[in-house]
Amino acid sequence: MDLTGAFGARSAAVGACREPPGLESLHLGGGDGGFTALLELPPTQAVELLHFTDPSPSSSQAAVAGVGLDVSPPPPPLHAYGALTFPSNAALMERAARFSVMANEQQNGNVSGETTTTSSVPSNSDRVKTEPGETDSSQRLENNRCGIGKRKELDKKVKGSTKKKSKSSEENEKLPYVHVRARRGQATDSHSLAERARREKINARMKLLQELVPGCDKGTDIDGKIKIKVCVCVWGPLISGKRNIVSNTLVWKHGCDTPPPPRQIQGTALVLDEIINHVQSLQRQVEMLSMRLAAVNPRVDFNLDTLLASENGSLMDGSFNGTAMQLAWPHQVTETEQSFHHRQLQLQQPPQPQQWPYDGLIQPAWGREDDQGHGNEHNSLMAVSENLMVGSASLHPNQVKMEL
Amino acid sequence: MASAYNPIYTDVPEKDVFALHFLQTLSNLRTQNSFSSPDNKTSDRVKKIKKAAYVSMARAAGGTNRLWSRSLLHQAAKRNNKNVRFLRRKRRVTWLMRRRSNRGDPIEDVAAERLRNLVPGGGGMETSKLMEETAHYIKCLSMQVKVMQCLVDGLSPK
Repeated sequence: MDLTGAFGARSAAVGACREPPGLESLHLGGGDGGFTALLELPPTQAVELLHFTDPSPSSSQAAVAGVGLDVSPPPPPLHAYGALTFPSNAALMERAARFSVMANEQQNGNVSGETTTTSSVPSNSDRVKTEPGETDSSQRLENNRCGIGKRKELDKKVKGSTKKKSKSSEENEKLPYVHVRARRGQATDSHSLAERARREKINARMKLLQELVPGCDKGTDIDGKIKIKVCVCVWGPLISGKRNIVSNTLVWKHGCDTPPPPRQIQGTALVLDEIINHVQSLQRQVEMLSMRLAAVNPRVDFNLDTLLASENGSLMDGSFNGTAMQLAWPHQVTETEQSFHHRQLQLQQPPQPQQWPYDGLIQPAWGREDDQGHGNEHNSLMAVSENLMVGSASLHPNQVKMEL
Repeated sequence: MASAYNPIYTDVPEKDVFALHFLQTLSNLRTQNSFSSPDNKTSDRVKKIKKAAYVSMARAAGGTNRLWSRSLLHQAAKRNNKNVRFLRRKRRVTWLMRRRSNRGDPIEDVAAERLRNLVPGGGGMETSKLMEETAHYIKCLSMQVKVMQCLVDGLSPK
């Protein structure tokens, strides 16, 4: 029976449909030509094709998506678009009812909506078409349907101000990654829609950046001042005094795990300025620290124990585990190299994690270094790095190879 | 960490990875003869260290997976040896320029231009992509700053 056969395929696809977490990408598999073909069919035939007889992956996926997403509760009882078909065909309705009932049995629990839809099946076509505007979770099936119902949708009156017309399905096909809704009353030509898609992408990323940059979502000066006080206590006079407010709040924010509650966006320009300031301050910090390093390095006669102790205190925080350690790394480090590239190429050797005691690690490294006759500073730096190796979590070999 | 799937992928490795790379490049610097000689000017040494920091950061952050790290590494390679293949980025930039001049928020574009100048490799990117790169770049920069700070603290005289 075609019902059970199709059903088997669909229930298999349900699991796959649940997985993709972001609804930004549409998996309209091979349905490039399918929808435009569907558009030319009369609605009933198209629906029939969609739900039952069409073995193409897109429609089955879409139908299943409609069913599968119904289980996760959207507030209005839209369910099984498979069930809410065009009510003009009685046979189809019966099949749809059967389909939804079987969907009930197949999936767990909260498909009460399915039964209600079977009872409320003879809904007017208006309701059928407005409901796509309400839920975001039924996007995929809606794409299938809007190709069919687009003509009717454009004509009818939209109920409520929150309803949104959906973008044409053909356009969704061309951009398989982005699904954009056209707002009510706005133009639906491809240019403005693409522009809107671009804007939304940019706004999403801007929000992400806002979370990164501290002080971006803060409005008042008072907050900034409080943060400065906190960070001064935390970090003290470690870094030289030429720091602006942004960098101070940066320090504070990175020291604390719970971010402050976000506020309204101040405006694109301000946010971007803040981001730019942040990047500039970070780069300035790098430069300052490199100056300090340059000043510190050559003239210090290293005492190994103190160095290791200090490195232990500062670098071995919670992120370090005393687990694996690559032995191949010390081999490569002590070799003399010509340039950065040569050096990094040598890292291609797969590191072999082994557990070595701390003392045992230092000795062979020193032995090797003495053979090569390096300077004292080199030794101490090597010791520092050995120290890191002992404490650090294992470097993934993939990562080491990947960067080349 | 958020359990929700973030479609914009901006994870950076842990601090020890950055530390590792930075120390590697530093030790590599030491093996160069010109570095450890005391009559070397401090500014040169500073520049070298800075460059080492950026290169190691680029490597630690994922090598050539990111645009900014790729361009950083290319810049570094260009200085070291002159046989670097020139990236055909000019063509993309002109296309983007034309596209940007047609439409676009003036406020956003001005700021985007400044950001492009800051973030390495930002010349050939769309604005949305630029923001992704900036987010990742900021994360990596802050990590690198932490590492360098720890190192300086460790090495500075008590």
